Amino acid sequence: MIVNRVVETDFPEEFIEEIEKSQDSLPRKIDANPGNVEKGLAKLVLTLIELIRKLLEKQAMRRVEAGSLSEEEIERVGETLMKLENKMKELKEIFGLKDEELNLNLGPLGDLL
Amino acid sequence: MKIYVYGIIDSNKQVNEPVYGLEKARVYNIPFRDVGVVASDLAGPMPDVTEDSILAHEDVVESLMENFTVLPVKFLTVFDGKENILSVMENYYSDFKDNLNRLRNKVEFGIKVIWPGDKIKEHLIKTHKGGAQKVTASDGSPKKRFMKEKFEKYKIDKKFREKASKCINAMDVFFSKFAAQKKLEKLKTENLLLSAVYLVERDKQSDFREAFEHIRTARDDFRYLFSGPWPPYNFVILPRKSHPFKISEQAAMFDKVFHERNLVGADKT
Amino acid sequence: MDNVLTKSKDVTLLEVLDRVLDKGVVISGDMVISVADVDLIYLGLKVLLSSVETMEQLRGSPFASPMQEPT
Repeated sequence: MIVNRVVETDFPEEFIEEIEKSQDSLPRKIDANPGNVEKGLAKLVLTLIELIRKLLEKQAMRRVEAGSLSEEEIERVGETLMKLENKMKELKEIFGLKDEELNLNLGPLGDLL
Repeated sequence: MKIYVYGIIDSNKQVNEPVYGLEKARVYNIPFRDVGVVASDLAGPMPDVTEDSILAHEDVVESLMENFTVLPVKFLTVFDGKENILSVMENYYSDFKDNLNRLRNKVEFGIKVIWPGDKIKEHLIKTHKGGAQKVTASDGSPKKRFMKEKFEKYKIDKKFREKASKCINAMDVFFSKFAAQKKLEKLKTENLLLSAVYLVERDKQSDFREAFEHIRTARDDFRYLFSGPWPPYNFVILPRKSHPFKISEQAAMFDKVFHERNLVGADKT
Repeated sequence: MDNVLTKSKDVTLLEVLDRVLDKGVVISGDMVISVADVDLIYLGLKVLLSSVETMEQLRGSPFASPMQEPT
């Protein structure tokens, strides 16, 4: 049988590390076993919330950069972003989830983040 | 009889040389009009996801590549019988045909590039505004400081991404010369600068390889991974279809079990 | 060899996996619900018999750390 594939690199370990890091940690399925269903759902929900939070943060930064926020607005946005960040930290702790576990690869939309 | 499917090919003729797949079963071609579905019988249980089974699957697909245009099918695609396969073919025939025509004589190559992302970021942080810009306690309210820090990070990240794009474009210019299509993922991680697949015509393979070698030596501070030739996994385009079949028995069973066990808000005691 | 997929130390295998696991022709939907260790696939598709009980091993258990009870 003919086998074509060739995978060549001088640095297999480095690539293995990066490839594994880059993989989505979003579960392919939600385990509906009563013991696990909450954690599976929590991971799904928190991953999506993190995504939204990061996008909001990025959007705010773009406006700061464009100079389209007043001093007062910057303060208020700062307050909201701080609260969001702290809330997320809390939720992550409650569900025992780390940042790496909430990794969502946006693929071609990656530039949004 | 369960049937394990490997790929769709642009031929309705029998597979001549013996090729063996999962369970070491002989692979055969199920003709459908002018195309075919390459499959083998699955006597036992669903294969486990192991290195052996994955490679057995991939080996079959690559064998097909030698003599046919092949649309590789996802691992662990198993049908309940030949009639079911033929029903799917009815539904997807023109999509498959379009893909086969578009992908004829083309193969896929993968290129991944690692760059010293963390070092580059460190350097950017140091040189950012002369490096002296530390946020101090006198900079106003905590909210202001928070925003300032975020903004610094944002600017550095932006510079970082811009640098990445520049490097990627410089490389891509060379690779694209010999590619019909491409998909690029930039900075999947800080150090994984590029994760790309290119669709290359068979007779341009060595030119493509040369282009890669050129970049590899030109930018030898980066690290490279080159893979292929692969069947065109990343370049098959299929529309989503709603299937004109009745709700399956499995789905009915699911409904039944789900409601019986009342899983939503189930009491854990 | 069991549970090869999450901690594969073979870069070739990783490249193959990336392709065969969800690229190419994908005829089924991706939404899978597991009920008490029996995987059912909720598709309107009678023709496809695709047991994914072994897909459990695909990404390993994503729930590596024990769940903490909310206080």
